[in-house]
Amino acid sequence: MAVEYSFSKEIGDMMYASHKNPITECLQCGTCSGTCPAIEFMDHSPRKIIGMIKANLKEEVLSSNTYWSCASCYHCTVRCPAGIDITEMMYALKRYSMWKGQFKPGLIGPDFSESFVKMIVNSGRSYEPILAATYLPKYSASAIIQEAITASGLVLGGKMSLFPKKIKRIKNLQNAVRRILPLGDVS
Amino acid sequence: MTERIGVYVCHCGTNIAGVVNVAEVSEWAGNELARDGVVISRDYKFMCSSLGQELIQKDIQELGLTRVVVAACSPHLHEATFRTACKNANLNPYLCELVSIREQDSWVHTDKDAATQKAKAIISGGVARVAHHESLEPLRVPIHPATMVVGGGIAGIQAALEIADAGFHVYLVEREPSIGGHMAQFDKTFPTLDCSACILTPKMVQVGSHPNITLLTWSEVTKVDGYVGSFSVTVNKKARFVDTDTCTGCGICWEKCPKKVVDDVYEAGMNNRKAVYTPFPQAVPKYPVIDAPNCTFFIKGTCKACEKFCPTGAINFEQKDEEVTLQVGNIILATGYDLFDTRRMPQYGYGRLQNVYTSLEFERLSNAAGPTGGNIVLRDGKTVPQAVAIVHCVGSRDQNYNPYCSSICCMQSLKFAHLVHERTGAEVYNCYIDIRTPGKGYEEFYNRLLEEGTNFIRGKVAEISNVPRVPEEEGKLIVQVEDTLIAKQRRIPVDMVILSAGLEARHDARDVAKMFGISCSIDDWYIERHPKLDPVATMTDGIYIAGCAQGPKDIPASVAQGAAAAARVLGKIQQKEISLEPVRATVNQEQCSGCRICNDLCPFNAILFHEETMVSEVNHALCQGCGTCVAGCPAGAISGTGFSNDQILSQINGLLLLRITENEYA
Amino acid sequence: MKAYAYYPGCSLESLGKSYHLSTLEVATKLGMEFAELEDWNCCGATAYFPVDELLSYTLSARNLAIAEKTGLTDFVAPCSACFKNAYTTNKYLNSDPDLADHINFALEADNLHVQGTMHVRHLIEVLLEDAGLETIKSQVSHPLNDLHVAPYYGCQLVRPRKLDENVESPHYFEDLLSALGASPVEFESRTRCCGGSLIITNRAAALDMVKILLQDATNSHAQIIATTCPMCNVNLEVYQNQVNREFGTNYSIPVVYFTQLMGSAFGCSPKSLGISKEIIPKALAKSQMEVIRK
Repeated sequence: MAVEYSFSKEIGDMMYASHKNPITECLQCGTCSGTCPAIEFMDHSPRKIIGMIKANLKEEVLSSNTYWSCASCYHCTVRCPAGIDITEMMYALKRYSMWKGQFKPGLIGPDFSESFVKMIVNSGRSYEPILAATYLPKYSASAIIQEAITASGLVLGGKMSLFPKKIKRIKNLQNAVRRILPLGDVS
Repeated sequence: MTERIGVYVCHCGTNIAGVVNVAEVSEWAGNELARDGVVISRDYKFMCSSLGQELIQKDIQELGLTRVVVAACSPHLHEATFRTACKNANLNPYLCELVSIREQDSWVHTDKDAATQKAKAIISGGVARVAHHESLEPLRVPIHPATMVVGGGIAGIQAALEIADAGFHVYLVEREPSIGGHMAQFDKTFPTLDCSACILTPKMVQVGSHPNITLLTWSEVTKVDGYVGSFSVTVNKKARFVDTDTCTGCGICWEKCPKKVVDDVYEAGMNNRKAVYTPFPQAVPKYPVIDAPNCTFFIKGTCKACEKFCPTGAINFEQKDEEVTLQVGNIILATGYDLFDTRRMPQYGYGRLQNVYTSLEFERLSNAAGPTGGNIVLRDGKTVPQAVAIVHCVGSRDQNYNPYCSSICCMQSLKFAHLVHERTGAEVYNCYIDIRTPGKGYEEFYNRLLEEGTNFIRGKVAEISNVPRVPEEEGKLIVQVEDTLIAKQRRIPVDMVILSAGLEARHDARDVAKMFGISCSIDDWYIERHPKLDPVATMTDGIYIAGCAQGPKDIPASVAQGAAAAARVLGKIQQKEISLEPVRATVNQEQCSGCRICNDLCPFNAILFHEETMVSEVNHALCQGCGTCVAGCPAGAISGTGFSNDQILSQINGLLLLRITENEYA
Repeated sequence: MKAYAYYPGCSLESLGKSYHLSTLEVATKLGMEFAELEDWNCCGATAYFPVDELLSYTLSARNLAIAEKTGLTDFVAPCSACFKNAYTTNKYLNSDPDLADHINFALEADNLHVQGTMHVRHLIEVLLEDAGLETIKSQVSHPLNDLHVAPYYGCQLVRPRKLDENVESPHYFEDLLSALGASPVEFESRTRCCGGSLIITNRAAALDMVKILLQDATNSHAQIIATTCPMCNVNLEVYQNQVNREFGTNYSIPVVYFTQLMGSAFGCSPKSLGISKEIIPKALAKSQMEVIRK
């Protein structure tokens, strides 16, 4: 008799630091949503997302912007009476959605994270202008201009260099990463 | 002389017979175990039935059996049955051994051949063992007719009255100056909205004037010696500095006392009392006490206003604490609860934000005899709130604090909502996770609150803030909560917040339990003998528990437990003498080296050490026959009756004999 | 002179340069040596976790391994995100030998091996615990004149580790500010998130979160906000004008790193603390200096 691998279990299994499946412990009290500072910008409250996961509404969950709007402030995690690490669950949803390539269109988060990792594998240090390519296309013209103004202010103020920096042992870093993830044709 | 052993193999319908070939086993035992003393072996459908028992009894009488082995279910179920059957046939009950071939064989194996062989081994072990059994007599201990009740709240009061009314003496020990407990602090009780003091004080008065009750208030137990039926309890009666023979309770002393002290026990910090005080007007006994650490005389040597003005000269600054030792047969612990400290949840703002109250503070606020005369007003003493939020589950149902549900907070929160409606007409918001209203009339009370227009918001409050984000929030306390039923985070501006804080065990519960020889659960509630079937007894004979000390509960349940504990005690007292199982450990004094390792191992503090002879001795009344000391003694000087080395080793031999020669008995 | 393995993190090299400068100034004054790790890599902040957990821990572990090689005992990070990643990685390395094996297999490619022996700490803890309030007070030559400071802890400094139940109401930052002669205000939102990387991925949300912080700081009559993390600093400062445009408000409250306040109190020059490098228009930057110097 095959055991059904529920969405809840799938996500629970992607949370390294949690034992068993913490999502099952949720009593839907709403403390997380009452606490979340970003909730006004989420399709569904964190509590509702957990409820939807438990109800196996995979498509609806993955296509919401909730988990991509999580700022990882961990306030829900420290207050949750059921001891669920909700922030880590949001990360697990992000990973799941990136893995399946399934997420709400128009979101900046997926592109941003992917570009960020690629940038690090390339140079070992973060360099903002590269990342701009991930989100500027989604901005309005006035927003792009605003960003340009801010950016030039940063460069002029000596707070942003014009050129990306590389760490010395970048090749070794890449080889180290290869032992974790397949890198494809990153040079 | 070899014993004459009878073996009885039960079918237990098909429970055993369906897996084990009982006929074969019975025949085998009769043949192969004959050399071990088996003179008769039978099998029968239901050994525990009257007919089954009669089989045994007949054989005892006609065949002169000296030992009986019954192979059936677990001893847990029918050991007593068969022992009684033997007793009635004039065979000492402890010469009967019950071996389990059901729970330990037929119920856990599917291979019938193997199970049958195992049954033979089990019976062989039983036969080998029973030869070493001795006739034992149960211990008889006398029961002193007096009882001690520790804790003068409603549970303790009920227990004391029941025992006293039945004609037996009770010592009621209470740590505060008056009995009454938390119930005396409340204004109304749910769901009837009875005035709490009005229903409590008649019982308090009864206790105070009962000829069979000795009230020891402002007292604490410091030592407990002895065992069921004969406890020797030392009580420290703290000095009141008031002579109770001459004091009339007129109250002039506390009127004249110039020293005000914040009353953080009875008034939950909401009001002051004096250094000489009774906690509330209906206090029983009526005699005040002087709070020495806060009394000007004890601090500086001056004042003595109370002494000056006392019309009967009852103030006595020379009084000392008095220690008394009381003999009682049974003890009931009804020591109550403490409230969860809401400062542990800073996000709720208690202590930082003025108009956030705990449940007990609100009880005092709403009490007609309280600091505001029962007017529900803010901390400024005059502003009537226009919106009040009541937060459920503060510190309960929370892995970060207490994982359990505190049982009464939902009803209490509804009660508060009602009082606020009644007295202020304010808008009331109850923020809850679930509404728990299981008792009689409780759900109907919830309906009443719905009718009254209470705003129920299903969501656990995340935080309480006083930082406004929009003009409507200026000057208000903002309750931030997700209204889960509409899935929206709401910020609700209110004037007052009441935190329904959870119930916790008394903070010294572990120490008290240790003193009385009982255990606490992980949450520090006293542990009952059985969570379902024996909630007022403990694993220590003679010590009973009642009320919230055993776990959070409402007043009816506390009263019921107080009465139940009293009934158990009365049952013991009526018998005048009780029997205790004779399965006990005994120290062989010649072999004892006086190392005292066993003394600390005993979980029941049942081992004494004799300094003069340098040997340990087991008190058979306290001993529960657990065997820890038997195993722990490095000299092997302790053996347990019913579990002696000979008995156990021979049982092992009997079990193993079969395996050595693979289905052939050698 | 105690030496610490110093992990600046990517922000301190660019956007958070003044944090880096002021940190080193303050460390010197307090007799602490901060030795920057060689060839450290980006900790990933919140950007690795959406991609792969093991990768995140491995990249943080590389920095820990480099630190362990120096023989120093303490790993200090001024940025809260870097701190939180290093702290959590270190914790898991110690509690899960399997994870440590995986990670070390990867680190072999860089001839590194991590054991999880570093004591990972945030800069503010190192200063408060190792130097102590008394030493800090003794270095104050220019007390901050009751400057009304809003102590902004941010989120990842205090969470997710729960040192004690005071995760909801820490007070050590206020104690530090008082020791400098400033007047910390009652800033209820002091551990409320600034939005972090949402400023990129969900700007509307981040701006709203920043606005609420600015509103609370203003309501509490703060003259200046002190931060403990470059992301918080950038969100509150760089985007203040955008917040005003978005919400029609007119907040103009200077935002500095707590080390800049410490350095000012210790008498260091504004330039050495990177004070002139603030984003807010020159006029505001000037008023900032005046506010601190008053």
